[in-house]
Amino acid sequence: MSNLLKKPAVRWGALVVLVALAVVLPLMLPEVANDTIARICVFAVAVLGLNVVMGYGGQVSLGQIFFLGLGSYVTAYGATNDWNIVLTFLAALVLPAIAGLVIALAAARLGGLAIAMVTIALPIVGLPLARRLDHWTGGSQGLSSRFSDAPEWTGLYHDQWQLYIVLVIAVVTFVLVRNFVRGKFGRALAIVKENEAVASSMGISPYWYKVLSFTIASMVGGISGFMYMSVVQYTSPETLAFHHSITLLAAMVVGGSATLAGSVIGGVYFVFVPVLTNAINPNLTAMLQGAILLLVLFLLPGGLASLPRRIAGLRRSSGSRPGAPPREEAATRAVQKAASKQPTRKADQ
Amino acid sequence: MAARVTLQGVNLHFGGVKVLRDVSFDVEPGSVFGLVGPNGAGKTSLFNCISGHYRPSSGSIRIDGTEVRGSRPSHMASFGLARTFQHPALQLRETVLENVMLGAHTRLRGGPVAWSLRLPHVVRAEKELRGEALRLLEENGLGWAAHRRADELSHGLHKGVELCRALMMRPGLLLLDEPAAGLPHSEVEQLIDTVRRLRAESDVTIIIVEHHMGLIAALTDRVVVLDHGAKLMEGTAAEAQSDPRVIEAYIGKDEADAAS
Repeated sequence: MSNLLKKPAVRWGALVVLVALAVVLPLMLPEVANDTIARICVFAVAVLGLNVVMGYGGQVSLGQIFFLGLGSYVTAYGATNDWNIVLTFLAALVLPAIAGLVIALAAARLGGLAIAMVTIALPIVGLPLARRLDHWTGGSQGLSSRFSDAPEWTGLYHDQWQLYIVLVIAVVTFVLVRNFVRGKFGRALAIVKENEAVASSMGISPYWYKVLSFTIASMVGGISGFMYMSVVQYTSPETLAFHHSITLLAAMVVGGSATLAGSVIGGVYFVFVPVLTNAINPNLTAMLQGAILLLVLFLLPGGLASLPRRIAGLRRSSGSRPGAPPREEAATRAVQKAASKQPTRKADQ
Repeated sequence: MAARVTLQGVNLHFGGVKVLRDVSFDVEPGSVFGLVGPNGAGKTSLFNCISGHYRPSSGSIRIDGTEVRGSRPSHMASFGLARTFQHPALQLRETVLENVMLGAHTRLRGGPVAWSLRLPHVVRAEKELRGEALRLLEENGLGWAAHRRADELSHGLHKGVELCRALMMRPGLLLLDEPAAGLPHSEVEQLIDTVRRLRAESDVTIIIVEHHMGLIAALTDRVVVLDHGAKLMEGTAAEAQSDPRVIEAYIGKDEADAAS
């Protein structure tokens, strides 16, 4: 199966089929399905951003929703003030990136859990700020804009047009991030996450790479904010509430950190799980979500995206070639990590 | 290009603990230099001072005449410095090849935008590097492992991979921190061959911290013996092995007297 996927012809064939599906499906599906897929795209990109800083970069960020919120407000402001749509998109991407850069420049210097602490503050400060700055944000009422309605000439319904918009943005973002997290920058981020002493001996500054990953995560968050506004056409202080940030984090972990597929699964989780748990019993929503998170953490520490590899591993270990079980792997890694840090942390007594 | 390393009066204090006291020596370009001494003598601390991971309290460390004391460790690669660690920290879930390619980080041009867009020059550079890393692994007898995940390899092989990763930096100064620790005899022989070959073929200065006296005697041109953070003596490995002060530092005074 995996060998089959490696053949270029098969890959191109799969790509053509996927593109065809992406073009045709929005025309055929009912409105509610299109809307759901569009929301999944929005939150898959938000989780992707979180993955850049946390999954790949190893920095705990609890404020990703703030950047989504900022992106959505910038988009709403631009749309209500009749900015050019391309300009609005660029602003929704650049302003969160600048905010992220400034925050990371300060927080990454403090090291340790500083980034996590600072990022907790973001949505907590952001929400009342969004209420207060009502000149720009419309206060508690929020802002709505129908900038993403389908133009007449397309002959499309709004939901179809919106789905096309977010699909294109999501695919382009995923491809760019995929390229970024492989090769030079992927290797550098991975070693910064694993062992800062080794990273710096390779000429990689842990500080700058933390700042870089946080900035890119903020930018991708801003992009998801633009997408959010395109689909929902309304944003309010509630958009950037802290508990959404935690759900994004859970979505990333359940999907699989440091994987692209995990980000997509995370988007699905974010959209479906609250609805699902609500349907089972509205009083138990939080508890059920917690249970799902724990279950995944115990059974599949690598998230749902690691399921195929896990199955392949199990099959192999039951056959002739022994494969190391993942849990043992993680333990040796932790020991190695601790050991390799020793010479640089401690004096040679 | 092989680098000259000059240390003058290097002191390192952690609070009240004096880890290094007034250490000075000079390492000739292209030579293999040994740092020996009993456990806790300060050898690795001295290494960490040279590689920028520790900042000496006073003194001067020069590489080819440039003062590097106080430089960030991530800046040291630009002085041509590469190092290994006592415990090789590899990316265990990545392939050996990816691990080795990490060593070429500073040689790869292009910023985040160029890499996200996969511009042609970036793709070409990555491909060339892949070839170079494969050749380096071949030369060190690890070509067969290139596409294995690092955690499938033994500790000894990890050390080999880590050395290749350091060599990908094309260093002028290579610091090896206990390269023979935990290796079986046969692999120590291999390591000696590898370092000899490096010395013959590459233009590099090598400093080795090691307990294994056989390895030190086989490889080094000069050694410095450290004891309690201070330089005890400097000379050839043979001189060090016969120096009564060195014997005393290793096995204690009374026993040394009894032995003589």
